[in-house]
Amino acid sequence: MGRYILKRFIVSLFTVLVLVTTVFILIRLMPGDPFVSEKMTPEIKANMMAYYGFDKPLYVQYFHYIGNLLRGDLGLSLKYSNRSVNTILAQTFPVSADLGIRSIILATILGLFLGVMAALNNGKFFDYFCVFIAIVGVSVPDFINGSLLQYIFGLKLKLFPIARWEGFRYTILPVFALSLYTLAVITRTMRASMLEVINQDYIMTAQAKGLSQWQIITRHQIRNAILPIVTILGPITAGILTGTFVIEQIYAIPGMGRFYVSGINDLDYSMILGMTVFYGVFLVAANFIVDIIYGLVDPRIRISGK
Amino acid sequence: MKKKFVSIIALLLVILIASTTFVGCGSKNSEEKGNAESAGKSQVLTFAQTAEIPSLDPQLQNSMQSFEVTNAIFEGLVRLHDGKVQPGMAEKWDISSDGKTYTFHLRDAKWSDGQPVTAYDFEYGIRRLLDPKTGSAYAFAGYGILNGYEYNTGKVTDVSKLGVKALDEKTLEIKLANPAAYFLGYLSLPCFMPTREDIVEKYGNNFALEAENNVYNGPFILKEWKHESGVTLEKNPDYWNKDAIKLDKVNILQITDPNTALSMYENGELDFVSIPNTLWDKYKDNPKTKLIMNGAIDWLRLNLNAPGKPWLANKDFRKALNYAINREEYVNTATKGLYLPYTRLVLPMVVGAKGGKYTEESPIDIYPTTGDSAKAKEYLAKAMAALNIKDPKDITLELKFSDSAADKALAEVLQDQLTRNLGITVTIKLVTYKQKLADDTAKQYDAVYNGWMPDYDDPMTYLELFESNNSQNSTGWSNAEYDKLIEAARTEVDPVKRQQYFWDAEKILVDEAPFVPLQCRRLGYLEKDNLKGMSRYFVGSDIDFVFAYFE
Repeated sequence: MGRYILKRFIVSLFTVLVLVTTVFILIRLMPGDPFVSEKMTPEIKANMMAYYGFDKPLYVQYFHYIGNLLRGDLGLSLKYSNRSVNTILAQTFPVSADLGIRSIILATILGLFLGVMAALNNGKFFDYFCVFIAIVGVSVPDFINGSLLQYIFGLKLKLFPIARWEGFRYTILPVFALSLYTLAVITRTMRASMLEVINQDYIMTAQAKGLSQWQIITRHQIRNAILPIVTILGPITAGILTGTFVIEQIYAIPGMGRFYVSGINDLDYSMILGMTVFYGVFLVAANFIVDIIYGLVDPRIRISGK
Repeated sequence: MKKKFVSIIALLLVILIASTTFVGCGSKNSEEKGNAESAGKSQVLTFAQTAEIPSLDPQLQNSMQSFEVTNAIFEGLVRLHDGKVQPGMAEKWDISSDGKTYTFHLRDAKWSDGQPVTAYDFEYGIRRLLDPKTGSAYAFAGYGILNGYEYNTGKVTDVSKLGVKALDEKTLEIKLANPAAYFLGYLSLPCFMPTREDIVEKYGNNFALEAENNVYNGPFILKEWKHESGVTLEKNPDYWNKDAIKLDKVNILQITDPNTALSMYENGELDFVSIPNTLWDKYKDNPKTKLIMNGAIDWLRLNLNAPGKPWLANKDFRKALNYAINREEYVNTATKGLYLPYTRLVLPMVVGAKGGKYTEESPIDIYPTTGDSAKAKEYLAKAMAALNIKDPKDITLELKFSDSAADKALAEVLQDQLTRNLGITVTIKLVTYKQKLADDTAKQYDAVYNGWMPDYDDPMTYLELFESNNSQNSTGWSNAEYDKLIEAARTEVDPVKRQQYFWDAEKILVDEAPFVPLQCRRLGYLEKDNLKGMSRYFVGSDIDFVFAYFE
């Protein structure tokens, strides 16, 4: 297992390097440049290019960037004069992570509950109710449900603040809005998985053994049905983190989601690369951790994983 | 053993849930108290900006968000309020008879750290702006200063040759390359704000990145800068004119989504708010809706040298385009009447030489805003005869717009009108905003949608754009008479004569039509009834709240 982890670690590093290189080249191929604007003159652009070192040959810039990257320096943002990408990420990531973690937790708990309840009430009203929620959650995009929740619970009913991120009350609407899609996916997956498990022979065995219904559900059914959820948690985490952009925009949350889009619109090279590296490392790490948790939950994988 | 491990993880998860879910409960009470206070009669202004402030470094800033804050936390030699130049850090000034040398006499004023504001701070700020190593995007603002352009482009390396000199602590001399009546108002731009050399050196690359990394000399002090969230300004108790400042505190929130900002305004959380252009239809008949022209004018720039399209080099064809567009219908269809149809270059608000507005004193009425399809066809026929083209369909024109939904709507109306009224083949090409600008510079377009925000209140800010050697003039249009008139206006001291030069030049430009003027951009907004003294002006800081107050 140790060697396997080391090997995967090296592969991950290589993955990140390839990612950075590809993005580094791709953004330079995009038409336009970071400093082009209505009022830019060629002379001033030359000064700015020199200030940021873009007057040097591309390969020099590349090695310079990689060198800085190895020291953990993501460079200066081109749009936010002199602010380093490191600082921006350090100031905004905790907010996005806070929002994301709350959403994942809410979605997981509620999703598992709804999924289990739907399966146990298969074909009854509650099942259809859960399926309805799941369909709405999957099919309605974030910007619709985000705006709708804001309009109803913020502006009309005045139960929660309309926007901003100033305390617990401010988190409820955005967290709920962001978790809806994930909640729906988890509900559907859990429901399907439970329905499959319920008909397994070992459940009948457990019933024959005389275990109580509660014990059967918690020890045998949920424990076995939850495996697919663990599998999709990795991609779901990625989905939530990349999906924060819309919700952060609607609720004016000072997170990092906006830099995803604005970095590209502004052609802020160091911002785009910084985001790429950050998310790249983050996703590689997230998948890695999911693999380990997977091993903990399913002994078969633990053994074969050696 | 393994089972225990899993249950420990489960337990940790539960704790994590509990902690993340309930964190922040404690701050709830204090927040509500804060809200209740600001709802009272206290002089606290709250409004929203749509994006994070890119920079509060006076010489590096380049955006409206920055301007609006800088205008309040710093003060230059003069202050521009409602388009009128008022004394700022300079108590009075003398202008030499040739209009080229300005001598400013500074008042006794203090920085927020107690140090006196001196002429050296201004000298340093302007030198820093024009130093090529600063890499300031706004350096062009200093090109009117003697050797400003030369120093910024490295042609002059001796900074003492730059036309800015502190004669002593309280006297600053600025020499211009040419006389410029608008120069005084121009000095209110953020890039001309005084800057403390010792503070810049102390913080290095972190200068002005946080509220505490700079000192302030304006009516307000930057108290807090919560990045991506907003800034808080507080009244400066040491400001020289502090009795004229009524607001105690200003909260500028960063609300990216204009619809969210509007909801917050409706909820009473903001004191004024812009109406999103997409909602204009809903608000245009609301008696509370206010409308301003923010100074931007938009046009289609035509590339006279577009390869394979000789008609663009033909003046009659370009005039036909100008006649063919019914601008009234265009703004009503594409913007629900928000924008103002326009058929010349200089904006209606620009000040004239005789005390009125330049455009009223010097009217130009070549193309009617409703268009004239008969004239359009007449000019098209002339152009086709000259180019020996039989079928108007053979004439192709690609309109290049940026890929936003709003731009697309504008492009489609223009495409429809040009096709309908001229019978030519018009296509639309949507590209990213940055690509549009790059293609514009590289002269890779037939017709590109573009606009201009004025830097100062003078026809020059618009008219010099079409000089042959201006880097903004990518059309390839060059007219010796036009260049001569603009050059003459540049050195003319008599305002009436100068205006005549501008008028003659603009008439040539509109008639020769290297561009198709379309509209002046307007913006709708809502404002609380008891908020007074707000200034919305088309030059400098669009939103000037410095002298605002609540009744």
